[in-house]
Amino acid sequence: MAACHEINEDPKLYQKSNKILLMGNPNVGKSVFFSNLTGIRVVSSNYAGTTVSYTEGTMKLGNETYTLIDVPGTYSLEATSKAEEVAVRFINSNPAAIICVLDATNLERNIKLGLDIQRYNIPVVYALNMVDVAKRRGYDINLRLLARELGAPVIPTIAVKNEGIDKLTEELQKILNSSKTTCGNCASCPGCAKLGMNTWDRAREIAARVRIKTEGKPSFLDRLGNSMLKPWPGIPIALLTIIVSLGVIIGAGKFLQEYILGPLVGDVLVPFFKMIISYIVSEGILHNVLIGEYGIFTIGLEWIIESILPFVFLFYVVFSFLEDSGILPRLSVLFDSIMRKMGVQGGSMITILLGYGCAVPAIIGSRTATTKKERLMISAIVCFAVPCISQTGALISLFAGFSPILLVLMFLLSFAVMMIVSSVLSRIIKGKVDPMIIEIPNLLMPNGKAYAKKLMLRMKNFFLDAEVPMLISIVIAALLKETGLLEKIAVYLEPIVSGWLGLPRSAVIALILGIIRREMAVAPLLEIEGLTALQAFVGGTVALLYLPCLSVFGILSKEFNTKTALAISLATTLNALLVGGLINQLAHLFM
Amino acid sequence: MKMKNPVQGVKSLYYAKDNQKYIIADTPDIGVLKSLGIVKNAIVFKKMTHKLGGPVLLMVESSQIAIGKDIAEKILVRG
Ligand SMILES: Nc1nc2c(ncn2[C@@H]2O[C@H](COP(=O)(O)OP(=O)(O)O)[C@@H](O)[C@H]2O)c(=O)[nH]1
Ligand SMILES: [Mg+2]
Repeated sequence: MAACHEINEDPKLYQKSNKILLMGNPNVGKSVFFSNLTGIRVVSSNYAGTTVSYTEGTMKLGNETYTLIDVPGTYSLEATSKAEEVAVRFINSNPAAIICVLDATNLERNIKLGLDIQRYNIPVVYALNMVDVAKRRGYDINLRLLARELGAPVIPTIAVKNEGIDKLTEELQKILNSSKTTCGNCASCPGCAKLGMNTWDRAREIAARVRIKTEGKPSFLDRLGNSMLKPWPGIPIALLTIIVSLGVIIGAGKFLQEYILGPLVGDVLVPFFKMIISYIVSEGILHNVLIGEYGIFTIGLEWIIESILPFVFLFYVVFSFLEDSGILPRLSVLFDSIMRKMGVQGGSMITILLGYGCAVPAIIGSRTATTKKERLMISAIVCFAVPCISQTGALISLFAGFSPILLVLMFLLSFAVMMIVSSVLSRIIKGKVDPMIIEIPNLLMPNGKAYAKKLMLRMKNFFLDAEVPMLISIVIAALLKETGLLEKIAVYLEPIVSGWLGLPRSAVIALILGIIRREMAVAPLLEIEGLTALQAFVGGTVALLYLPCLSVFGILSKEFNTKTALAISLATTLNALLVGGLINQLAHLFM
Repeated sequence: MKMKNPVQGVKSLYYAKDNQKYIIADTPDIGVLKSLGIVKNAIVFKKMTHKLGGPVLLMVESSQIAIGKDIAEKILVRG
């Protein structure tokens, strides 16, 4: 089986022969067809993505080998978006044939695309997909009539159950082996006869004729999906979903931490590495850097595997589920009015929620925003007020020694900052924010394999993106500590750290490491003995609001520019020190 | 509702009655609307308008679409 890779632009591909294009609206099942036809599993998501990339794979038909291309989903070929531009370029690059996937539950706009494709005179086979859903909704479709109108074979399919795929490849082979175009007799072919007509009107007319209304039986998920869109019972369900999600992340995370990863690190890994390294390396700086108080194999394993990993993993377990099941777009609808008041729109909520995992994908994801102003607002909100999951994990560990109320207070504080920051920014940033327009996908149980694959991909990215900076910061921590440099820096920062924030001097290391990785602004606090609840809260506040980590700085400079990155970093740092200090000073005033 | 309507029987989708079918009379020139099939002469079923400046929820065939207030106000429909 050939390799499968994502390509953004590859002029060579246009010259490649034997291409078969897999086209259709977004979310009609193209990617499921792609993996069924090529044997390659690809990540598929339940809402229309925006990064315009495509996937190619090899497909055998008889003795011929073809390159199957999963073209980005499009609604038309009018090149009104990046995805459509790419689709048009593909269609103009001499493909052997097209498999056009139609969604049986949305005939009008799918037929519209079919009619657009028809004009290119390329051999086409139509897969009328999702016939199971259509049936449930009470639609029956006259396939013969549809095939005549589209001037090409139409095969009913259920991609997820692999139904109709054999018939589809059979028809595909037929049209590939027959002469060039399928439409030779222009006078009698309805496709050409009505070419002058507006395609939308024609699509609507065809849809009305081929569709036969029957008795539908909406499933439980259909009905639940609909009620989740109304304030009642939608909002209670949404709040419950959020609470359950947090409960799963925090509860199961703590369970993993205490009963599985904690013992694994404390009783097995650390003693193991200590033993081996003491055996090889003699006492001295290297020894301490490796297994000393801040050693790579002691603190490193503890911070990464025990404090952070369980929460990162569970966050993505929950987030990917919410994403693939179609719950997130429903939250966007319910919370649109609140998001509007914050100066963004409902659709941005998904991006901001993603920021609770990590700011980097959220800032990249903000590309979905239609205006510059909204992108900037989302990115700034995420940098100012949204703790990433690694950091939340560290905060949970930090507050575990005190009271869970601290965690609740911290979240409330983060919401308050979010509200203030967004209302200030929406006033000072010029430009406008477009109102929400979203299509709400069906509520469904995520496809197991696609879900597992996505989860794996996200964990892999976490390890690649996080592991290296985390190790670097641990090495820096160990070096600062072992060389005594930390003490010297601490003297300079003393007025801020101890005077204004009321933290112990050793907390300086948190401020320094926080620049490299966000959770590292919290993790060192875990090591300080005799920290009071107030100190933990102030430390947590500073960490929460502090300068985003180096990777975030990098992505901000890349997606916007260095000036924006610097401005956000400076503003967040000042804000962190201001709010943290105020909390400390006020608490002392009243206590 | 106080909206001056240029054409007889045409009203804003945002304020139109819930749970009713409408024919689109006019929409702002926005690509996404077109893509989703919200074009002149399309038949849509309006489900509801969310309170407090929330979006309009409608069905175009069997897909559900939510449209923010500021655009939904500018979509004109005929009863
Ligand atoms: N019920 C049902 N679901 C399907 C069918 N085909 C695809 N799906 C689901 O529809 C969603 C979108 O599929 P995907 O392949 O990602 O669509 P793409 O955007 O066209 O690539 C996924 O959750 C699939 O599992 C089908 O025939 N019936
Ligand atoms: Mg896809």
